Amino acid sequence: MSEHSARIERFWRDNQLFSALVELTYRCNLDCFFCYNDVGLAGTPLAFERYGELLEEMARLGVLHLTLSGGEPLAHPDFFRIGARARELGYVVRVKSNGHALRGALARRLRDEVDPYLIEVSLHGAVAATHDRQTRVPGSFERLLANLEGLRELGLRFQINSTLTAWNEAEFEGMYAIADRFAVRLQIDPEVTPRDDGSREPLSIAASREGLRRLFEFEAERSRTYAASQGGGAAREPAIVRQGDSIAPPSPRANGSGKFCGAGSSNVCIDPYGNVYPCVQWRRPVGNLHESTLAEIWATSRGLADVRELERQIARRLAGEESSLLGFCPGQAEIVTGDAAAIYPAAVVRRELLREVNRESAKRALLPVIRG
Amino acid sequence: MTTSERYRRASDVRYRILDGEAVVVRQRAAEVLGLDAAGSRILDLLDGERPLANVAATLAEEYEGDRETIAREVEAFVAELAAAGVVEPVEEGE
Ligand SMILES: C[S@@+](CC[C@H](N)C(=O)[O-])C[C@H]1O[C@@H](n2cnc3c(N)ncnc32)[C@H](O)[C@@H]1O
Ligand code: SF4
Repeated sequence: MSEHSARIERFWRDNQLFSALVELTYRCNLDCFFCYNDVGLAGTPLAFERYGELLEEMARLGVLHLTLSGGEPLAHPDFFRIGARARELGYVVRVKSNGHALRGALARRLRDEVDPYLIEVSLHGAVAATHDRQTRVPGSFERLLANLEGLRELGLRFQINSTLTAWNEAEFEGMYAIADRFAVRLQIDPEVTPRDDGSREPLSIAASREGLRRLFEFEAERSRTYAASQGGGAAREPAIVRQGDSIAPPSPRANGSGKFCGAGSSNVCIDPYGNVYPCVQWRRPVGNLHESTLAEIWATSRGLADVRELERQIARRLAGEESSLLGFCPGQAEIVTGDAAAIYPAAVVRRELLREVNRESAKRALLPVIRG
Repeated sequence: MTTSERYRRASDVRYRILDGEAVVVRQRAAEVLGLDAAGSRILDLLDGERPLANVAATLAEEYEGDRETIAREVEAFVAELAAAGVVEPVEEGE
Protein backbone atom coordinates (compact mmCIF):
# COMPACT_ATOMS: atom_id res chain seq x y z
CA MET A 1 0.00 0.00 0.00
CA SER A 2 1.33 3.44 -0.84
CA GLU A 3 2.06 5.92 1.89
CA HIS A 4 -0.76 8.12 0.65
CA SER A 5 -3.30 5.27 0.72
CA ALA A 6 -2.26 4.47 4.29
CA ARG A 7 -2.76 8.12 5.19
CA ILE A 8 -6.25 8.17 3.65
CA GLU A 9 -7.13 5.04 5.60
CA ARG A 10 -6.17 6.81 8.81
CA PHE A 11 -8.31 9.80 7.83
CA TRP A 12 -11.31 7.52 7.33
CA ARG A 13 -10.72 5.76 10.61
CA ASP A 14 -10.18 8.97 12.58
CA ASN A 15 -12.93 11.05 10.90
CA GLN A 16 -10.31 13.46 9.60
CA LEU A 17 -12.03 15.72 7.11
CA PHE A 18 -9.92 15.97 3.95
CA SER A 19 -12.18 16.44 0.88
CA ALA A 20 -15.27 18.57 0.37
CA LEU A 21 -17.61 18.86 -2.57
CA VAL A 22 -19.53 22.12 -2.55
CA GLU A 23 -22.54 22.53 -4.81
CA LEU A 24 -22.65 26.28 -5.27
CA THR A 25 -25.95 26.56 -7.10
CA TYR A 26 -28.49 24.43 -8.95
CA ARG A 27 -28.75 27.05 -11.67
CA CYS A 28 -27.45 25.80 -14.98
CA ASN A 29 -27.00 26.96 -18.55
CA LEU A 30 -27.80 23.44 -19.84
CA ASP A 31 -30.83 21.29 -19.13
CA CYS A 32 -29.74 17.66 -19.07
CA PHE A 33 -32.58 15.21 -19.22
CA PHE A 34 -31.01 12.93 -16.60
CA CYS A 35 -29.68 15.60 -14.20
CA TYR A 36 -29.82 14.31 -10.61
CA ASN A 37 -30.12 17.77 -9.03
CA ASP A 38 -33.26 18.44 -7.03
CA VAL A 39 -33.98 21.87 -8.47
CA GLY A 40 -37.17 22.13 -6.40
CA LEU A 41 -35.28 21.93 -3.11
CA ALA A 42 -36.26 24.83 -0.82
CA GLY A 43 -33.88 26.79 1.36
CA THR A 44 -31.87 29.96 1.82
CA PRO A 45 -28.76 30.02 -0.34
CA LEU A 46 -25.47 30.50 1.50
CA ALA A 47 -24.31 34.11 1.12
CA PHE A 48 -20.80 34.97 -0.05
CA GLU A 49 -19.73 35.88 3.51
CA ARG A 50 -20.87 32.48 4.73
CA TYR A 51 -18.84 30.79 1.98
CA GLY A 52 -15.84 32.80 3.15
CA GLU A 53 -16.30 31.59 6.71
CA LEU A 54 -16.89 28.05 5.54
CA LEU A 55 -13.69 28.01 3.47
CA GLU A 56 -11.71 29.29 6.44
CA GLU A 57 -13.30 26.76 8.73
CA MET A 58 -12.73 23.85 6.38
CA ALA A 59 -9.07 24.83 5.97
CA ARG A 60 -8.71 24.79 9.76
CA LEU A 61 -10.40 21.39 9.89
CA GLY A 62 -7.87 20.03 7.41
CA VAL A 63 -9.75 19.97 4.10
CA LEU A 64 -7.22 20.04 1.28
CA HIS A 65 -9.31 18.88 -1.68
CA LEU A 66 -12.18 21.17 -2.63
CA THR A 67 -14.49 20.40 -5.53
CA LEU A 68 -16.80 23.15 -6.75
CA SER A 69 -19.84 21.69 -8.47
CA GLY A 70 -23.53 22.35 -8.89
CA GLY A 71 -25.63 22.79 -10.98
CA GLU A 72 -23.19 24.74 -12.99
CA PRO A 73 -20.72 26.25 -10.51
CA LEU A 74 -19.73 28.99 -12.98
CA ALA A 75 -23.36 30.17 -12.92
CA HIS A 76 -22.99 31.25 -9.28
CA PRO A 77 -22.64 35.05 -9.21
CA ASP A 78 -19.75 34.82 -6.71
CA PHE A 79 -17.96 31.90 -8.34
CA PHE A 80 -14.73 33.82 -8.94
CA ARG A 81 -14.64 35.41 -5.51
CA ILE A 82 -15.21 32.02 -3.89
CA GLY A 83 -12.66 30.34 -6.15
CA ALA A 84 -10.04 33.02 -5.53
CA ARG A 85 -10.54 32.76 -1.77
CA ALA A 86 -10.15 28.98 -2.01
CA ARG A 87 -6.88 29.47 -3.84
CA GLU A 88 -5.64 31.91 -1.17
CA LEU A 89 -6.52 29.42 1.52
CA GLY A 90 -4.41 26.74 -0.15
CA TYR A 91 -7.02 24.32 -1.43
CA VAL A 92 -6.43 21.91 -4.28
CA VAL A 93 -9.45 23.05 -6.29
CA ARG A 94 -11.34 20.96 -8.79
CA VAL A 95 -14.17 22.48 -10.80
CA LYS A 96 -16.90 20.24 -12.18
CA SER A 97 -18.41 22.10 -15.09
CA ASN A 98 -20.43 21.33 -18.19
CA GLY A 99 -17.84 23.44 -20.03
CA HIS A 100 -20.45 25.46 -21.91
CA ALA A 101 -19.29 28.86 -20.61
CA LEU A 102 -15.62 27.94 -20.29
CA ARG A 103 -14.08 30.08 -22.98
CA GLY A 104 -12.48 33.43 -23.70
CA ALA A 105 -12.13 35.85 -20.81
CA LEU A 106 -13.96 33.56 -18.41
CA ALA A 107 -11.56 30.67 -19.00
CA ARG A 108 -8.59 33.01 -18.55
CA ARG A 109 -10.06 34.33 -15.31
CA LEU A 110 -10.45 30.77 -14.10
CA ARG A 111 -6.78 30.11 -14.74
CA ASP A 112 -5.51 33.39 -13.36
CA GLU A 113 -7.80 33.85 -10.36
CA VAL A 114 -8.67 30.34 -9.25
CA ASP A 115 -5.75 28.29 -10.64
CA PRO A 116 -7.65 25.00 -10.34
CA TYR A 117 -5.79 21.76 -10.12
CA LEU A 118 -8.28 20.14 -12.49
CA ILE A 119 -11.42 20.97 -14.43
CA GLU A 120 -13.80 18.08 -14.94
CA VAL A 121 -16.09 18.60 -17.92
CA SER A 122 -19.01 16.43 -18.96
CA LEU A 123 -19.45 14.80 -22.34
CA HIS A 124 -22.65 12.95 -23.17
CA GLY A 125 -21.90 11.43 -26.54
CA ALA A 126 -19.41 11.29 -29.39
CA VAL A 127 -21.59 13.20 -31.82
CA ALA A 128 -23.62 16.38 -31.58
CA ALA A 129 -27.00 14.67 -31.92
CA THR A 130 -26.39 12.50 -28.84
CA HIS A 131 -24.71 15.08 -26.62
CA ASP A 132 -27.25 17.78 -27.46
CA ARG A 133 -30.12 15.37 -26.94
CA GLN A 134 -28.98 15.02 -23.33
CA THR A 135 -28.20 18.70 -22.69
CA ARG A 136 -31.27 19.89 -24.63
CA VAL A 137 -29.20 22.81 -25.88
CA PRO A 138 -28.48 22.67 -29.63
CA GLY A 139 -24.86 23.45 -30.44
CA SER A 140 -23.58 22.48 -26.95
CA PHE A 141 -21.45 19.62 -28.31
CA GLU A 142 -19.60 21.71 -30.88
CA ARG A 143 -19.17 24.48 -28.38
CA LEU A 144 -17.78 22.10 -25.76
CA LEU A 145 -15.16 20.73 -28.17
CA ALA A 146 -14.12 24.24 -29.17
CA ASN A 147 -13.91 25.24 -25.51
CA LEU A 148 -11.76 22.21 -24.68
CA GLU A 149 -9.35 23.31 -27.40
CA GLY A 150 -9.26 26.71 -25.70
CA LEU A 151 -8.57 25.16 -22.28
CA ARG A 152 -5.69 23.24 -23.77
CA GLU A 153 -4.24 26.40 -25.29
CA LEU A 154 -4.51 28.15 -21.93
CA GLY A 155 -2.68 25.28 -20.24
CA LEU A 156 -5.63 24.42 -18.02
CA ARG A 157 -5.63 20.76 -17.01
CA PHE A 158 -8.91 18.99 -17.59
CA GLN A 159 -10.46 15.56 -17.70
CA ILE A 160 -13.66 14.41 -19.32
CA ASN A 161 -16.42 12.74 -17.34
CA SER A 162 -19.27 10.87 -18.86
CA THR A 163 -22.11 8.63 -17.76
CA LEU A 164 -23.00 5.65 -19.91
CA THR A 165 -26.63 5.89 -20.99
CA ALA A 166 -28.92 4.13 -23.42
CA TRP A 167 -28.40 7.13 -25.69
CA ASN A 168 -24.59 7.07 -25.82
CA GLU A 169 -23.75 3.42 -25.17
CA ALA A 170 -22.95 2.80 -28.84
CA GLU A 171 -20.54 5.75 -28.85
CA PHE A 172 -18.06 5.22 -26.03
CA GLU A 173 -15.26 4.37 -28.46
CA GLY A 174 -15.88 7.76 -30.05
CA MET A 175 -15.81 9.44 -26.65
CA TYR A 176 -12.48 7.78 -25.92
CA ALA A 177 -11.24 8.99 -29.30
CA ILE A 178 -12.18 12.55 -28.30
CA ALA A 179 -10.33 12.20 -24.98
CA ASP A 180 -7.32 10.69 -26.75
CA ARG A 181 -7.28 13.60 -29.16
CA PHE A 182 -6.81 15.93 -26.21
CA ALA A 183 -4.60 13.39 -24.41
CA VAL A 184 -6.76 13.64 -21.31
CA ARG A 185 -8.38 11.15 -19.05
CA LEU A 186 -11.94 10.01 -19.74
CA GLN A 187 -13.89 8.63 -16.82
CA ILE A 188 -17.11 6.88 -17.75
CA ASP A 189 -19.52 6.26 -14.90
CA PRO A 190 -21.51 3.16 -15.83
CA GLU A 191 -24.51 4.06 -13.69
CA VAL A 192 -27.28 6.58 -14.09
CA THR A 193 -28.57 7.52 -10.64
CA PRO A 194 -32.04 8.59 -9.57
CA ARG A 195 -32.74 12.24 -8.96
CA ASP A 196 -31.92 13.61 -5.52
CA ASP A 197 -35.64 14.07 -4.86
CA GLY A 198 -36.08 10.31 -5.30
CA SER A 199 -37.52 10.46 -8.83
CA ARG A 200 -36.46 7.55 -11.01
CA GLU A 201 -37.05 9.37 -14.27
CA PRO A 202 -33.31 9.51 -15.11
CA LEU A 203 -33.17 5.69 -14.90
CA SER A 204 -35.33 5.50 -18.02
CA ILE A 205 -32.12 6.12 -19.98
CA ALA A 206 -29.86 3.77 -17.98
CA ALA A 207 -27.46 1.84 -20.20
CA SER A 208 -28.43 -1.68 -21.26
CA ARG A 209 -26.68 -4.75 -19.92
CA GLU A 210 -25.15 -5.31 -23.33
CA GLY A 211 -23.95 -1.71 -23.45
CA LEU A 212 -22.30 -2.10 -20.06
CA ARG A 213 -20.64 -5.35 -21.06
CA ARG A 214 -19.22 -3.75 -24.19
CA LEU A 215 -17.88 -0.82 -22.17
CA PHE A 216 -16.22 -3.10 -19.61
CA GLU A 217 -14.71 -5.25 -22.37
CA PHE A 218 -13.43 -2.20 -24.18
CA GLU A 219 -11.89 -0.73 -21.03
CA ALA A 220 -10.27 -4.08 -20.15
CA GLU A 221 -8.78 -4.19 -23.64
CA ARG A 222 -7.42 -0.66 -23.28
CA SER A 223 -5.84 -1.59 -19.97
CA ARG A 224 -4.20 -4.59 -21.60
CA THR A 225 -2.88 -2.52 -24.47
CA TYR A 226 -1.53 -0.01 -22.02
CA ALA A 227 0.07 -2.67 -19.84
CA ALA A 228 1.72 -4.23 -22.90
CA SER A 229 3.00 -0.85 -24.05
CA GLN A 230 4.51 -0.38 -20.60
CA GLY A 231 6.35 -3.68 -20.80
CA GLY A 232 3.68 -6.06 -19.51
CA GLY A 233 2.43 -6.46 -15.98
CA ALA A 234 -1.07 -6.08 -14.70
CA ALA A 235 -1.40 -2.32 -14.88
CA ARG A 236 -4.96 -1.04 -14.97
CA GLU A 237 -4.07 2.22 -16.64
CA PRO A 238 -5.96 3.04 -19.82
CA ALA A 239 -3.87 3.75 -22.89
CA ILE A 240 -4.02 7.47 -22.48
CA VAL A 241 -1.94 10.13 -20.88
CA ARG A 242 -3.30 10.42 -17.40
CA GLN A 243 -3.22 13.92 -16.12
CA GLY A 244 -4.57 14.55 -12.85
CA ASP A 245 -6.08 11.75 -10.93
CA SER A 246 -2.84 10.63 -9.36
CA ILE A 247 -3.49 12.76 -6.33
CA ALA A 248 -7.16 11.98 -5.99
CA PRO A 249 -7.89 10.34 -2.68
CA PRO A 250 -7.85 6.63 -3.46
CA SER A 251 -10.92 4.58 -2.74
CA PRO A 252 -9.63 1.23 -1.63
CA ARG A 253 -12.51 -1.07 -0.86
CA ALA A 254 -10.70 -3.53 1.32
CA ASN A 255 -9.02 -1.25 3.78
CA GLY A 256 -7.82 -1.11 7.32
CA SER A 257 -9.97 1.83 8.38
CA GLY A 258 -12.86 -0.49 9.18
CA LYS A 259 -15.08 1.65 6.98
CA PHE A 260 -16.34 1.02 3.49
CA CYS A 261 -15.59 4.46 2.07
CA GLY A 262 -14.78 7.98 3.18
CA ALA A 263 -18.35 9.35 3.09
CA GLY A 264 -19.00 11.25 6.30
CA SER A 265 -15.58 10.28 7.63
CA SER A 266 -13.17 12.19 5.48
CA ASN A 267 -15.49 13.48 2.76
CA VAL A 268 -18.39 15.85 2.99
CA CYS A 269 -20.84 17.48 0.56
CA ILE A 270 -22.59 20.80 1.01
CA ASP A 271 -25.54 21.92 -1.11
CA PRO A 272 -26.39 25.52 -2.10
CA TYR A 273 -28.71 25.89 0.92
CA GLY A 274 -26.15 24.84 3.49
CA ASN A 275 -27.38 21.26 3.90
CA VAL A 276 -24.52 18.95 4.79
CA TYR A 277 -24.38 15.39 3.46
CA PRO A 278 -21.82 12.58 3.90
CA CYS A 279 -21.19 12.53 0.12
CA VAL A 280 -22.60 13.95 -3.10
CA GLN A 281 -24.17 10.54 -3.72
CA TRP A 282 -25.46 9.99 -0.20
CA ARG A 283 -28.15 12.63 0.23
CA ARG A 284 -28.95 12.03 3.88
CA PRO A 285 -28.83 15.49 5.51
CA VAL A 286 -26.72 15.46 8.66
CA GLY A 287 -26.87 19.17 9.51
CA ASN A 288 -27.28 22.66 8.09
CA LEU A 289 -24.74 25.47 7.99
CA HIS A 290 -27.39 28.11 8.71
CA GLU A 291 -27.83 26.47 12.12
CA SER A 292 -24.38 25.17 13.08
CA THR A 293 -20.77 25.38 12.06
CA LEU A 294 -19.29 22.51 10.11
CA ALA A 295 -17.01 21.72 13.07
CA GLU A 296 -20.05 21.30 15.32
CA ILE A 297 -21.80 19.11 12.78
CA TRP A 298 -18.66 17.04 12.26
CA ALA A 299 -18.20 16.47 15.97
CA THR A 300 -21.76 16.10 17.23
CA SER A 301 -24.20 15.20 14.43
CA ARG A 302 -26.28 12.16 15.34
CA GLY A 303 -26.84 11.60 11.63
CA LEU A 304 -23.10 11.47 10.97
CA ALA A 305 -22.60 9.05 13.83
CA ASP A 306 -25.20 6.79 12.18
CA VAL A 307 -23.50 7.10 8.79
CA ARG A 308 -20.13 6.16 10.29
CA GLU A 309 -21.65 3.15 12.01
CA LEU A 310 -23.28 2.11 8.73
CA GLU A 311 -19.90 2.48 7.02
CA ARG A 312 -18.44 -0.03 9.48
CA GLN A 313 -21.35 -2.44 9.02
CA ILE A 314 -21.10 -2.24 5.23
CA ALA A 315 -17.35 -2.85 5.31
CA ARG A 316 -17.97 -6.01 7.34
CA ARG A 317 -20.89 -7.14 5.23
CA LEU A 318 -19.12 -6.69 1.91
CA ALA A 319 -15.77 -8.03 3.03
CA GLY A 320 -16.16 -11.26 1.06
CA GLU A 321 -18.29 -9.92 -1.76
CA GLU A 322 -15.73 -8.85 -4.38
CA SER A 323 -16.95 -5.41 -3.51
CA SER A 324 -14.65 -3.66 -5.95
CA LEU A 325 -16.59 -5.43 -8.71
CA LEU A 326 -19.91 -4.29 -7.26
CA GLY A 327 -18.90 -0.65 -7.47
CA PHE A 328 -21.12 -0.43 -4.41
CA CYS A 329 -22.18 2.97 -3.16
CA PRO A 330 -24.10 3.28 0.14
CA GLY A 331 -25.78 6.47 -1.08
CA GLN A 332 -27.00 4.77 -4.20
CA ALA A 333 -28.17 1.77 -2.13
CA GLU A 334 -30.12 4.04 0.19
CA ILE A 335 -31.90 5.93 -2.58
CA VAL A 336 -32.69 2.79 -4.59
CA THR A 337 -33.64 0.36 -1.79
CA GLY A 338 -34.08 2.50 1.32
CA ASP A 339 -31.22 0.58 2.98
CA ALA A 340 -27.67 1.92 2.66
CA ALA A 341 -26.25 -1.55 3.23
CA ALA A 342 -28.41 -3.45 0.71
CA ILE A 343 -26.78 -4.68 -2.48
CA TYR A 344 -28.89 -3.11 -5.21
CA PRO A 345 -29.60 -4.65 -8.64
CA ALA A 346 -27.26 -2.41 -10.70
CA ALA A 347 -24.34 -3.43 -8.46
CA VAL A 348 -25.13 -7.12 -8.94
CA VAL A 349 -25.26 -6.70 -12.72
CA ARG A 350 -21.95 -4.88 -12.65
CA ARG A 351 -20.31 -7.64 -10.63
CA GLU A 352 -21.63 -10.34 -12.96
CA LEU A 353 -20.42 -8.51 -16.04
CA LEU A 354 -17.02 -7.70 -14.59
CA ARG A 355 -16.51 -11.30 -13.50
CA GLU A 356 -17.24 -12.45 -17.05
CA VAL A 357 -15.00 -9.80 -18.59
CA ASN A 358 -12.19 -10.57 -16.13
CA ARG A 359 -12.44 -14.28 -16.93
CA GLU A 360 -12.14 -13.49 -20.63
CA SER A 361 -9.21 -11.16 -19.97
CA ALA A 362 -7.39 -13.79 -17.92
CA LYS A 363 -7.75 -16.26 -20.80
CA ARG A 364 -6.42 -13.76 -23.30
CA ALA A 365 -3.55 -12.77 -21.08
CA LEU A 366 -2.13 -16.24 -21.68
CA LEU A 367 -1.61 -15.44 -25.36
CA PRO A 368 1.88 -14.23 -26.16
CA VAL A 369 2.31 -10.51 -26.70
CA ILE A 370 4.50 -9.53 -29.63
CA ARG A 371 6.29 -6.27 -29.16
CA GLY A 372 7.78 -4.25 -31.97
CA MET B 1 22.96 28.42 0.63
CA THR B 2 23.53 31.08 3.29
CA THR B 3 21.63 31.68 6.46
CA SER B 4 20.39 35.07 5.26
CA GLU B 5 18.66 33.51 2.27
CA ARG B 6 14.88 33.42 2.19
CA TYR B 7 12.71 30.73 0.64
CA ARG B 8 9.04 30.57 -0.16
CA ARG B 9 6.69 27.81 -1.11
CA ALA B 10 6.30 27.44 -4.89
CA SER B 11 3.09 28.98 -6.22
CA ASP B 12 1.64 25.61 -7.25
CA VAL B 13 2.16 24.06 -3.83
CA ARG B 14 -0.88 23.37 -1.67
CA TYR B 15 -0.66 21.73 1.73
CA ARG B 16 -2.29 20.99 5.05
CA ILE B 17 -0.69 19.92 8.28
CA LEU B 18 -2.69 17.10 9.77
CA ASP B 19 -1.67 15.40 12.97
CA GLY B 20 1.71 17.09 12.74
CA GLU B 21 2.40 15.76 9.24
CA ALA B 22 2.16 17.81 6.07
CA VAL B 23 0.34 16.51 3.03
CA VAL B 24 1.82 18.51 0.18
CA VAL B 25 0.43 18.64 -3.35
CA ARG B 26 2.49 19.97 -6.22
CA GLN B 27 -0.27 20.90 -8.60
CA ARG B 28 1.78 21.16 -11.78
CA ALA B 29 3.43 17.81 -11.33
CA ALA B 30 0.25 16.21 -9.93
CA GLU B 31 2.28 14.84 -7.10
CA VAL B 32 1.62 14.25 -3.39
CA LEU B 33 4.40 14.32 -0.82
CA GLY B 34 4.34 13.69 2.91
CA LEU B 35 6.52 15.51 5.42
CA ASP B 36 7.09 14.52 9.02
CA ALA B 37 6.53 16.88 11.93
CA ALA B 38 9.85 18.71 11.70
CA GLY B 39 9.61 18.93 7.91
CA SER B 40 6.08 20.30 8.15
CA ARG B 41 7.18 22.95 10.59
CA ILE B 42 9.99 24.03 8.28
CA LEU B 43 7.64 24.15 5.27
CA ASP B 44 5.21 26.25 7.27
CA LEU B 45 7.96 28.69 8.23
CA LEU B 46 9.23 29.13 4.65
CA ASP B 47 6.99 32.09 3.92
CA GLY B 48 9.46 34.10 1.85
CA GLU B 49 9.92 36.54 4.73
CA ARG B 50 12.04 34.71 7.28
CA PRO B 51 15.71 34.16 6.56
CA LEU B 52 16.93 30.58 6.97
CA ALA B 53 18.77 31.55 10.16
CA ASN B 54 15.46 32.54 11.66
CA VAL B 55 13.81 29.27 10.58
CA ALA B 56 16.67 27.30 12.11
CA ALA B 57 16.49 29.31 15.35
CA THR B 58 12.76 28.60 15.64
CA LEU B 59 13.38 24.88 15.12
CA ALA B 60 16.17 24.97 17.71
CA GLU B 61 13.73 26.39 20.25
CA GLU B 62 11.17 23.73 19.52
CA TYR B 63 13.44 20.69 19.14
CA GLU B 64 16.16 19.30 21.30
CA GLY B 65 19.66 19.33 19.91
CA ASP B 66 22.65 21.37 19.23
CA ARG B 67 21.86 24.63 17.40
CA GLU B 68 24.52 24.19 14.76
CA THR B 69 23.48 20.68 13.92
CA ILE B 70 19.86 21.80 13.65
CA ALA B 71 20.87 24.71 11.40
CA ARG B 72 22.80 22.33 9.14
CA GLU B 73 19.87 19.92 9.02
CA VAL B 74 17.45 22.71 8.22
CA GLU B 75 19.65 23.89 5.36
CA ALA B 76 19.99 20.39 3.98
CA PHE B 77 16.25 19.85 4.19
CA VAL B 78 15.45 23.16 2.49
CA ALA B 79 17.86 22.22 -0.29
CA GLU B 80 15.94 18.96 -0.69
CA LEU B 81 12.62 20.81 -0.79
CA ALA B 82 14.01 23.20 -3.39
CA ALA B 83 15.30 20.31 -5.52
CA ALA B 84 11.83 18.75 -5.33
CA GLY B 85 10.25 22.01 -6.54
CA VAL B 86 8.36 22.56 -3.28
CA VAL B 87 10.14 25.80 -2.34
CA GLU B 88 12.15 28.39 -4.23
CA PRO B 89 14.66 31.06 -3.22
CA VAL B 90 13.45 34.63 -2.94
CA GLU B 91 15.69 36.98 -4.90
CA GLU B 92 17.32 39.92 -3.13
CA GLY B 93 15.01 42.93 -3.21
CA GLU B 94 11.85 40.85 -3.85
C1 LIG C 1 -24.80 17.42 -11.67
S1 LIG C 1 -23.38 17.67 -12.65
C2 LIG C 1 -22.73 19.18 -11.98
C3 LIG C 1 -21.53 19.71 -12.71
C4 LIG C 1 -21.74 20.24 -14.12
N1 LIG C 1 -22.94 20.94 -14.28
C5 LIG C 1 -21.66 19.11 -15.12
O1 LIG C 1 -22.65 18.75 -15.73
O2 LIG C 1 -20.55 18.57 -15.25
C6 LIG C 1 -22.17 16.47 -12.11
C7 LIG C 1 -22.01 15.23 -12.99
O3 LIG C 1 -23.10 14.37 -12.79
C8 LIG C 1 -23.50 13.82 -14.02
N2 LIG C 1 -24.91 13.43 -13.86
C9 LIG C 1 -25.97 14.25 -13.79
N3 LIG C 1 -27.08 13.55 -13.57
C10 LIG C 1 -26.73 12.25 -13.49
C11 LIG C 1 -27.43 11.05 -13.23
N4 LIG C 1 -28.76 11.04 -13.03
N5 LIG C 1 -26.75 9.90 -13.19
C12 LIG C 1 -25.40 9.90 -13.36
N6 LIG C 1 -24.68 10.99 -13.60
C13 LIG C 1 -25.33 12.17 -13.66
C14 LIG C 1 -23.24 14.93 -15.00
O4 LIG C 1 -23.14 14.45 -16.32
C15 LIG C 1 -21.95 15.50 -14.48
O5 LIG C 1 -20.84 14.79 -15.01
S1 SF4 D 1 -24.92 20.50 -17.03
FE1 SF4 D 1 -24.67 19.45 -15.05
S2 SF4 D 1 -25.97 20.56 -13.58
FE2 SF4 D 1 -26.51 21.23 -15.66
S3 SF4 D 1 -28.27 20.03 -16.16
FE3 SF4 D 1 -26.45 18.98 -16.97
S4 SF4 D 1 -25.82 17.57 -15.33
FE4 SF4 D 1 -27.26 19.03 -14.43
